[in-house]
Amino acid sequence: MSAGEPGAGARPDVPVAERMIFAMGGGGFTMEPANPLLDDFVLSLAAAKQPRVLFLPTASGDTTAQINAFQARFADRWCVHEHLSLFRLRDARRPLREIVLEQDIIYAGGGSMRNLLAIWRAHGLDSLLAQAWRAGTVLAGLSAGAMCWFDGGVTRSSGPPEPLAGLGLLDGSLTVHADGEPERLPVWLAGVRDGTLPGGWALDDGVGLLFAGLRLERVVSSRPGAGAQRVDQVAGELVRTRLTPELLGDGRQSALGGVDEAVQELRRLHRMHRGLGERD
Amino acid sequence: MERDSSLLDDYVLSLTDAERPRVCFLPTASGDADHYVVRFYRRFAASCDASHVSLFRRDQGAGGVEDDLSTHLLAQDLIYVGGGNVVSMLGAWRAHGLDDVLRKAWRKGIVLCGPSAGSLCWFDEALSAFHGAPRSVRGLGVLPYSNCVHYDAEPARRAEYHRFVGDGMRPGFAAEDGVALHFRRTRLEHAVSSRPDGCAYRVEHAGDGVVETPLKVTYLGKTPADGPTAAEPVAGAAQSTAAPRRTRTRRRTGRRTAAKAAAVAAAASGERLPASPEPVTA
Repeated sequence: MSAGEPGAGARPDVPVAERMIFAMGGGGFTMEPANPLLDDFVLSLAAAKQPRVLFLPTASGDTTAQINAFQARFADRWCVHEHLSLFRLRDARRPLREIVLEQDIIYAGGGSMRNLLAIWRAHGLDSLLAQAWRAGTVLAGLSAGAMCWFDGGVTRSSGPPEPLAGLGLLDGSLTVHADGEPERLPVWLAGVRDGTLPGGWALDDGVGLLFAGLRLERVVSSRPGAGAQRVDQVAGELVRTRLTPELLGDGRQSALGGVDEAVQELRRLHRMHRGLGERD
Repeated sequence: MERDSSLLDDYVLSLTDAERPRVCFLPTASGDADHYVVRFYRRFAASCDASHVSLFRRDQGAGGVEDDLSTHLLAQDLIYVGGGNVVSMLGAWRAHGLDDVLRKAWRKGIVLCGPSAGSLCWFDEALSAFHGAPRSVRGLGVLPYSNCVHYDAEPARRAEYHRFVGDGMRPGFAAEDGVALHFRRTRLEHAVSSRPDGCAYRVEHAGDGVVETPLKVTYLGKTPADGPTAAEPVAGAAQSTAAPRRTRTRRRTGRRTAAKAAAVAAAASGERLPASPEPVTA
C-alpha cells in the first residue's frame, strides 16, 4: 500500500493554523434533511470557490440511504461532490490516495466508529486523511465521523456505549448526541473521570466545533437550544464548562423539527430496547 | 446465492450432515447490505435455522445476532460469508475479534463457505483488485495457499495472478465464476461448478516460471443425458497433479483436533452479489 508516501498529487503542508476540522455532535444531511445550515457552513470553510467535497459513508457500511442523502443535499450546491465507497466497485479504479488528496472537503458520515477506524486503517486511509488535513483539506463529520478525529470518543459499535480511541489528529475526546442519546454521556464522563479518556467536549445534536489547527475556533449550531460543554478532570473531580453555540442562519430553525423523523423513531426504539421507556 | 442457480448452495448444505442446518450469514464485505441479508433469508430460511451477524447495526436491534457473537457463531453448522470488499471485511472482522472466532469455528469442524471475498478470506494470501493496482491481501490463513476469484471475469486477472505467484505469492487456486473449491482440512477434495463449462486451476511455481494446471471440475447440474452428477474427487484426476498434497498440508495447529469434517468450501462463485444495486468486487 502506497498510503502515506509522498507522490504525485500530494500538496505541500499548510501552516498548522490553517488546518481545519469541523466536528458535529449530530446533524447535517443525514440527520437534518430539512435543515442545511451545518452543511452550508461546512462548504463555507473551503477556500475554493467551487470546493471538491468527498463523502465517506464508511461508518454506515456505505448505505444507499446516506449516499442518496449526500447527493440530494449537495447536488444543487456550488461544489463538485462525490462519495467514496470502500465496499462497492463504483469508482474503484482510481487509487485512493489520488482521490483523497485532491479534495477541498472530506465529510465523514455517522455509524459504527469501531468499523470506521478499522476499515480506514485496513485501506491505509487513516494516514491519507492525516496527510490531506496537513495539506489544508477541511475534515468534517458527524457522530462517528466527528469523534474519529479526536484522541477518543464513545462508541455504541458493539451495543452498549464504551470508550474508543480515535485517530488523534485533535487533542481531547468527544462525545456526541448528548441530548438525543443520553446514555452515552455518563459513560464518557466516567471515562474522563477515571482517565480512560482525556478531557474534551460533549455535543448535542446540531452543534459543531470548528478547530483551526488544534485550537477550538468556533462553536456553532443549526438549532436554538442545542448546547455543548467542555469537561476536564482536575484532581479526580470533573470540571464542567458550558459553551454557548452561535446560532447559524436566521435562528428560525425549529428545535424539534431539526432531527429526521426516522432518527427520532430509531432512538425511541433504542430506549425501549434498553427499558428506558418512551420519553418523548 | 447466485443469480441463476442454487446448485452451489445445495452442495454446501449437503456438507453439513444436519437435517435442519444452523446457517449464519456474515454480510460484512457488502457493508451489511440489507438487500443481501434479505436475499440470504429468502434462500435459507425455509430449510435451515438461518441467522445473520451484522457488524454495522449491532446497536440497532435489526434482527441479527447482537450479544455474544462468538457463542452464536460456534454453534453453527455452516457459516456463509457474503461477497464484497475483502479488505474492508477483514478490517472489520479483526476489530470485532471475528477473525479468531472463525479460525476456531474451522477447527471445530463448522463448514465455512462464501463467494468472492467470502472465498478469498480463508486463504493465506488473496489477490484483490480494488482502487488501483491489484495487491496481495493476507487472509485468515486457514488454507495455506493463495486464491484468485473471478478468474474469467476480467481479462487481466489471470496475468496478474501469474505475475504475483511468480513474484513470490504462495501457490494457490484460481476459480472462475460459478466454480467452488471444496477443501477438507487443508486438502482440496472437489472442485464443483454451477456452470457446465466452469474451470478452476492450480497455479504454482515451476522452475523459473509459473505453471497453471486445470483441475477436474464437476458440473453440479443435470446434463441432458443423465441425472445429477456426484462430485468426483479432484485427486482422482490425472491432470490435477495432486498439487494440494505436495504443498504443506500439515497445519501447525488444529488439524489434529479437528472434528469429523472441518470442511471448508471456499466457493468462488462470483456472479457478483445478486440483487446488488451495483457491482461489488473482492
